[in-house]
Amino acid sequence: MTNVARTGQTLLVVASSMLFAAVTSAMVVRRGIGGDWVAPELPVCVWATAVLGPLASWLVLRGWVRGAVIAGGLLVVLQVLVLAELRMAVIGEAFLSVLVGAHALHAAAGVAALARWGERAGLFWHFVGALWIYVLFLFGVWA
Amino acid sequence: MAIAILIAALAGATLALFFQPRWWFPEAISAHARAYDAHFLVTLCVIGCIFVFAQGLLAWVIFRYRDRGQAVTGSDGSSALEIAWTSATAVIFLGLALAGQGIWAGVHLEGSDPRALHVEVLAKQFAWSYRYAGADGAFGRVDVKQIDDAGGNSFGIDAKDPKGKDDLTAAVLRVPVGRPVELHLKSRDVIHNFFVRELRLKQDVVPGMTIPLRFTATKTGTYEVPCSELCGLGHHQMRSSLVVMTEEDYAAWLAEAQQKVVLP
Amino acid sequence: MTLFSTDHKVIGKQYIGLALFSVFLGMLLSLVMRFHLVHPDTKVRLFQMLWPEGAPGGQMTPELYLSLMTMHGTIMVFFVLTTAPQSGFGNYFLPLQIGAHDMAFPVLNMLSFWTTVLSLVTLLLAFVVEGGAPLSGWTAYPPLSGLGKITGPGQGLGQDLWILSIAIFCVASLMGAINIIVTVIELRAPGMGYFDMPLTCWGWFVTALISLFAFAVLLPGGVLLLLDRVAGTSFFIPGGLIVNDQVQGRSGGSPLLFQHLFWFFGHPEVYIAILPGMGVISTVLSVFSGKKVFGYKAMAVAMLAIGGLGFVVWGHHMFISGMSPYSSVAFSVLTMAVGVPSAVKTFNWLATLWGGRLRFTAAMHYALGFVSLFITGGITGLVLGQPGLDIYFHDTYFVVAHFHLIMGVAAVFAIFSALHYWFPKMYGRFLNERLGKIHFFLTFVGVYAVFVPLHFAGFVGNPRRYPDFKEYEFLKSVTGLHMGVTHAAYFLAAVQLIFLFNYFWSQRRGAVAPGNPWGATTREWTDD
Ligand code: HEM
Ligand SMILES: [Cu+2]
Ligand SMILES: [Cu+2]
Repeated sequence: MTNVARTGQTLLVVASSMLFAAVTSAMVVRRGIGGDWVAPELPVCVWATAVLGPLASWLVLRGWVRGAVIAGGLLVVLQVLVLAELRMAVIGEAFLSVLVGAHALHAAAGVAALARWGERAGLFWHFVGALWIYVLFLFGVWA
Repeated sequence: MAIAILIAALAGATLALFFQPRWWFPEAISAHARAYDAHFLVTLCVIGCIFVFAQGLLAWVIFRYRDRGQAVTGSDGSSALEIAWTSATAVIFLGLALAGQGIWAGVHLEGSDPRALHVEVLAKQFAWSYRYAGADGAFGRVDVKQIDDAGGNSFGIDAKDPKGKDDLTAAVLRVPVGRPVELHLKSRDVIHNFFVRELRLKQDVVPGMTIPLRFTATKTGTYEVPCSELCGLGHHQMRSSLVVMTEEDYAAWLAEAQQKVVLP
Repeated sequence: MTLFSTDHKVIGKQYIGLALFSVFLGMLLSLVMRFHLVHPDTKVRLFQMLWPEGAPGGQMTPELYLSLMTMHGTIMVFFVLTTAPQSGFGNYFLPLQIGAHDMAFPVLNMLSFWTTVLSLVTLLLAFVVEGGAPLSGWTAYPPLSGLGKITGPGQGLGQDLWILSIAIFCVASLMGAINIIVTVIELRAPGMGYFDMPLTCWGWFVTALISLFAFAVLLPGGVLLLLDRVAGTSFFIPGGLIVNDQVQGRSGGSPLLFQHLFWFFGHPEVYIAILPGMGVISTVLSVFSGKKVFGYKAMAVAMLAIGGLGFVVWGHHMFISGMSPYSSVAFSVLTMAVGVPSAVKTFNWLATLWGGRLRFTAAMHYALGFVSLFITGGITGLVLGQPGLDIYFHDTYFVVAHFHLIMGVAAVFAIFSALHYWFPKMYGRFLNERLGKIHFFLTFVGVYAVFVPLHFAGFVGNPRRYPDFKEYEFLKSVTGLHMGVTHAAYFLAAVQLIFLFNYFWSQRRGAVAPGNPWGATTREWTDD
């Protein structure tokens, strides 16, 4: 990976982290003052998707990019299925939708980048995998 | 050259504007408002000095160092100077910040006065209404479903709550002079802002919140209340009045108004 | 094909062109507003032709005024001040000044520009959709902006388009910011350290860093607001609202939450507008006084300090909003602290001039004018930064005067200075110096005449965002003042034609410039 590509991806990671941090803090504030917070229930099969990110990362590191693209693509599809189930009128689920939607966009971009640039886009993908675990953790444990 | 003169002239014209009597604060009608004016004057003197000093220096430097074929002499850095002006401005700026906390604390950080007259203020697109607790000193429950602007129940006072029976609503805010007043600001739709220039008080009225605002007016009269937070196409017409009355006038008004309360 | 060129110089010029178009559009809108403020009952055929719904029979409605105000502010802040200084001049000159061939990601660069165009087109579309442009100002506070048509015409599709436009703009700015940061970090010429970069590069670098964090917060803020409008969520909409006699079925949202997200972006945004200009001014003052910049390192560090502190002062826009009065105290102290590096920069500029031999070129005139305006606009920040005093001035014309001087006009003077300074590099010809100076003098007088009196309307307590002042007894006293300001604004706008003429005429007919006409020492002039 060239320095330019690495620095560029690092900055993308910084910007995305900031974005997710903003939504997270909005959620913390909103939960604290709204008085109408109900934690969304995550079915076990959603938890299982946590492995897809690291799996794809591992495949990238092993040099099997096509496998990683398939695993990442599967994650995006599952995320879209989750989105379809969520109700926007319930504030906890609305926040979850925003985070899942934002993550799905990142994951789709990550998959496209893997398909186009292969291992050179690995840094961003590792971040995407970790970010998904963060989102699940946020709702599974904190909310 | 010409620009040095122009900078000096424009700075001078700016200063000169402060000596016209027409465009200035209205009379102050509370102890807070007078404290406000005093601190504003201090701030104005400080920034006025900075303004004259900085613009004057700029004009002078331009004049003094205009190109007359002279050799370039000035230095291109000095830690001593950097430290000096950094700490000087830090002292002035932070000094002002601290000096100004008093008037802020006076409005927002002091507890409520037990003698205070409590009035609820309700803002909606594009009108104000005020609610007094009536003889029992307690506000009745409200219920959004019972809101009826045409029927005179903008607050939605719940007909089933006995505390609400004597609640008095009005389109103008009347208060007795010299008595502490505590407003409870509420909005029914979007954000509005309650502003009385003569009291030097301004507070956003935010839906979903009840925000207290305290004052004690010391001079009778009628004062305009312009909405000061953009609330839609009628924002500039969302006008109300504060009437500060003598104790007797106020008591007389209250007694009369109380008689007319139609039970919702 | 040059339209989709990936050459940083072409893209830089495209951004400048976009900003030029926008600034004249924004100015025309402001003239219509200024006209209406002093002639609220005059019917104008042209208004009816332009806005049949908003000006029936030529009589401008309040909602039309407010929508012009919203569009004026949005166009000026996003498409002029965020575009020309950073993306325009930054694109063109950053690579040249650090000895890089191009930006780090040329294709991304091209995409950022066209995404910005898309954002502008989306915004302008709001003028022609049903209900017209939104009336909630460039700050778009919910619930006014969050409930749809029911809160006013323009709050329907127009407001949707406005939010969409801002979201697209965020994406474009994030791409641009990443590009600039990577270019600075990775593509500096061999041996060039960070503290060897000209201050202009520091300006663009710090601005890009600020953009990276600020736009990454505005983007989700906009998305949440859009969801409140189209998906029925309650992020910012509290329960129990009755708008236009209709009960809104929402619950628990917080209008203040939006304000926090908005101003977390909004305050740094003013530094995004001004820091590149500060870099330009430092360079121009130094070149035309024949000296190095005084305290180069202090200047660079001050920019970093402004960038960093700029993220912890957003609450000064919310002193009156109903947030905790204790946090106001903290925000006030921090705000006064961020004033310090700004003052330090002013002192350093004065010291740069000190002992020099000043050559009064047109670019130098604008730079000196910038310093004067920066002082005049900056000191009123010391009033507004104190919550106790802001309690009277918030949302009055005092604030309008303050931010126009420090953010609007000062930044525009930096753009003028940069154009006169770099035009020979960009077009091989000079902008006409005499016309430049005439334009400077008239503009300088004009901006003082427009914006200084508005402070006094603020002293009277004149609220801003009012389409007319007829309703209030106390506003009778400012009628004359506003009449004067409006005439000064006509004058100010008229003299901009001098610049426009100069800009286009000189591209073809200007005096041919030599390679390094000003005797500068930075690489864009000396390399080749
Ligand atoms: C020809 C020079 C200009 C004139 C005559 C002018 C005039 C105005 C007027 C009349 C308003 C509405 C004030 C109100 O009702 O609250 C306004 C608002 C505004 N202007 Fe300007 N303006 C000029 C240049 C600029 C520039 C260069 C900027 C760039 C920063 C700018 C930024 C804004 C912003 C951000 C607002 C606030 C809009 C809002 O309240 O949402 N203006 N201007
Ligand atoms: Cu209003
Ligand atoms: Cu700010």
